[in-house]
Amino acid sequence: MKQKTSPKLLIALILGFIVQGALQRAVIFDLWTKNYNPGKGKLLSNAMSPDQILAVLGGFREITAGILWVKADSFFDQGNYDAILPLIRLVTMLDPNEIDVYATGMWHIGYNFTDEEQRSDRRYIPSALALGKEGTLHNPDTYELFFEEGWMWYHKIDDDYDNAVKWFLKAQERPDMLPARKNLLGMAYQRTGEINKSIDTYYRLYDQSLKQFANEAAFSNHQNRDTLEGNLDNMLVRAVQRGYVAEKDGRPLNGYDVYPPFDVGFSVKATVVEPRVIRFEGTWNVLPVGTRIRAVLRDKDFPGAHGAELEWDARDSVNLDPPKDQTFMQEQLFVKNRRFNKKVDMSKDPTMYPFTKDKYVLEFYYNPRSAPPHIQDKFGWSGQGMTDKNFINTDVRKNQRVVYATLELTKDQILRYGEWVDKTPIAKTANYHESNSDSGSNDDVILKVPSLRSGVGGK
Amino acid sequence: MRPILSIAATTVGEAIRRRVLLVILLIGVLFIVVAPGLGILSARSETTVLRAFMLGVIQGVSMIIAVILTVYMIPNEIERRTIYTILSKPVQRWQFLVGKYLGAVLSLLLMMSMMSAVMGVMFFLQQQSKNPGEIADLLKGPAMYFIQMCLLAAVGIFFSTFLPPLVNFFLSIGVFLVGTFFNPLFQTLQENKNTAPMVKLIAQGVNTFLPNFANYNVQNPIINPTQQIQNEGRYFLGVTVYGVVYISILLIIGILIFDRREV
Amino acid sequence: MAAAIETKQLTKSYKARQAGTINVVDHLDLHVEEGEIFGFLGPNGAGKTTTIKMLLGIIYPTSGEGYVLGKEIGDMDVHRLISYLPERPYYYEHMTGLELLKFYGSLFGITDKEKFVQLLEKVNLHRDMTKPISNYSKGMQQRVGLAQSLLNDPKLLFLDEPTGGLDPIAHREIRDLILSFRDEGRTVFISSHELSEVELICDRVAIINRGVIAAQGKLTELLKGGRIEITAEDVPASLLSDFNIVDANIRTLPSGLLLDMPEENDPNSVIDAIRAHKGRVISVVPRRKRLEDLFVETVSTPGVKS
Repeated sequence: MKQKTSPKLLIALILGFIVQGALQRAVIFDLWTKNYNPGKGKLLSNAMSPDQILAVLGGFREITAGILWVKADSFFDQGNYDAILPLIRLVTMLDPNEIDVYATGMWHIGYNFTDEEQRSDRRYIPSALALGKEGTLHNPDTYELFFEEGWMWYHKIDDDYDNAVKWFLKAQERPDMLPARKNLLGMAYQRTGEINKSIDTYYRLYDQSLKQFANEAAFSNHQNRDTLEGNLDNMLVRAVQRGYVAEKDGRPLNGYDVYPPFDVGFSVKATVVEPRVIRFEGTWNVLPVGTRIRAVLRDKDFPGAHGAELEWDARDSVNLDPPKDQTFMQEQLFVKNRRFNKKVDMSKDPTMYPFTKDKYVLEFYYNPRSAPPHIQDKFGWSGQGMTDKNFINTDVRKNQRVVYATLELTKDQILRYGEWVDKTPIAKTANYHESNSDSGSNDDVILKVPSLRSGVGGK
Repeated sequence: MRPILSIAATTVGEAIRRRVLLVILLIGVLFIVVAPGLGILSARSETTVLRAFMLGVIQGVSMIIAVILTVYMIPNEIERRTIYTILSKPVQRWQFLVGKYLGAVLSLLLMMSMMSAVMGVMFFLQQQSKNPGEIADLLKGPAMYFIQMCLLAAVGIFFSTFLPPLVNFFLSIGVFLVGTFFNPLFQTLQENKNTAPMVKLIAQGVNTFLPNFANYNVQNPIINPTQQIQNEGRYFLGVTVYGVVYISILLIIGILIFDRREV
Repeated sequence: MAAAIETKQLTKSYKARQAGTINVVDHLDLHVEEGEIFGFLGPNGAGKTTTIKMLLGIIYPTSGEGYVLGKEIGDMDVHRLISYLPERPYYYEHMTGLELLKFYGSLFGITDKEKFVQLLEKVNLHRDMTKPISNYSKGMQQRVGLAQSLLNDPKLLFLDEPTGGLDPIAHREIRDLILSFRDEGRTVFISSHELSEVELICDRVAIINRGVIAAQGKLTELLKGGRIEITAEDVPASLLSDFNIVDANIRTLPSGLLLDMPEENDPNSVIDAIRAHKGRVISVVPRRKRLEDLFVETVSTPGVKS
């Protein structure tokens, strides 16, 4: 007497299952992925992401993120940067549309891990870039994080400007980008040596600014127009002065500022004055202030390290725990009176400078593209006006003339172990001579300086 | 049809008098009313948090209402023996079940409309918005949630034909949660090259056959209006048809079970 | 007369974890005539409600057959002609009496408000019909239940413990209503364990115990076998033994002799004989068999299948 199952119902059931399955697979899922997926992008696809667990919180993600961000702000006031980073990670997971948190997070990760002497920990930069990339995937419709990513390359890494250009271009594709911020692309093109593109960019933006000003005579539009006008002026003058136009036309560079190339006369000596404390001394025959020579001390076998830098773009996911057993120190050596002398104390930050490996490399690197304009006027955008008898190098950077020198130290030397307990380790370039600048007056020095323009008159 | 409608109307009458539901509804409305004050908690623009919070409250409260409303539906009728007087009348069991479900849906419609209306008013007051399109855009959220909750109610009714309320409560919420975050998980599995093909196949099967609640979580572009949406109409139509079909499936299985059930 | 209810070997069994299969209703053969009030009696747990639910199609028999108004049980057409009042029903409390009737009426497609009011008048609730049911007393709830059971003008009513838990006045009201149903030509199937009620109104009864029918038939027949007790003084004991009455007992009491004999015998001849011997008759008490006795007898009879 049990109920009999109607075959019609069963058929309806099966049909229903097929229809819903087909709808889900054929129509809904794709659109859902494009439009509504809370964890947009591919970055989280390598593991079961926290995003999915947090999805449980449903609509309260944004408010939770907001509360955490307020908390992070109070840590910031206390200078407790270590506590902020996990919060930033959590907030961006909870609310991947919090652009400000991404931007601030990149800045924290990239800049604020420092040693006692305010050198930032460059091992974190790949993670800072990764956070930015993640942000752009979550927020593809606004320019901000594309711009931030470019800025990280332009300002923090201050090298490999092609990447800055790449991200600034992506930012420009977004319609919401502020006009004033677009100007930076022109600057970035200068630093890649693509002067024609820089000039084109400035012309294009200048045209736009004229239209904008015609539409609305606001102060900001007025100011933007004036800035672009100035930039364009400078660029055109420089392009002529630095021989760029002549070079393009196939004319000889005689008579232009960049000719003949000037010998910077680089030499360096590194002295391990105390365990983990190194003094860098050396020469650089450029008198005008504004020279910063990059000095890097790193494991000889540091993965991906070459040419005085790391593989900055190595990561796609954020890792707030860089390898604890690898050392990478980067410092700027400022030149004054044709000499530099800098003591780098790494003894107070054993986590940042663990020195666990046996062999270390010291790299010295100078790139005219990062130089201030008054020095660039002589050296050119790509080092055409610069040379060095011993260390001019055209390999470590493509299409550029840079100064690059390396020295080596051992762990025992840096830590003053073994035979080096009483002996002071010194590594120096063959051309390094003990200076007599202590005896001479500054005026004497100036007299000995060769003319930047002609390269003669010195020594 | 008449018995179905009568049962549905009675169910609504009962639902709107249940204190638990009213208290939950009241809490929800209260949260929506105080929502504008929570803007200060955010580093972001107040509207973003306001939208997120209001939509979150509506979804959460509706979910709890949908579950509480349905898990007791059949067990209570049996316990109070009201079902006997009804089934001894010329009422088929499927009519009873469908009537009950329809009642749940109407109750949800009533309660969710109320919360949405309050949300609309609060948003209007907060924003002084002169653009009615903005509020209409905001209301797309609750509209989709409504279908989501209808689906959840069908799950609850389906389980209540053979499970006691407490078990059903956790099971229904469990199905909701799984159905909500299975989509992101599924996408993750699909895109991960390291996923074993077997796991992919299983995931595909589960994603195809489990009720998919994530489809109705359309709040992201509403909260972040800079996002661009493609084929919105087609999507909404798709998920609505999906919901109706899936609800029918659940009700049919529910009826098959309920028909055999000794009450 | 046609049978209103007919069951043949109707059985409902459940599988219990330890005891194996339990027959809650065990090969039940019931026969209820149209137009009678039928009492379905048994202690709690005897299988009364299970039987009614099977007859209504709410649960399904394990085996056997059952017919209600000539149709196999579970037939939806029959549901238009019958009605059911469950034991201690609970109604949607937010409704008023009138709304309740409207609701149940709509299940039959009945929308006639006058009919609802009439029915409420019949059960004497018309003054309270706009009050919510949650304010009703138990008796009122039972009466509104009866009113709803009359909505479809049923030929057959199933009343499960209709007077359970009610005070004596309410009892009486319900009893009178049930009797009026018979006058209207309806068949009433009452399940109860309150024997005095059933005895007063039922034409026929069936006694069920542990799922098995222990007795079934007309009340008058089932209750045959009463006795007469005659007490007398100053009578020689030998006198009474002269009568040779079958199945009689004589006992000596402090006050005299007690003769206890089946009711078929003529007490007058005995009284005459006592008087003739100058004895004095103190009392003549007919002890009629009551349903209670029958019930205790049948229910406590050993050998009933379990």
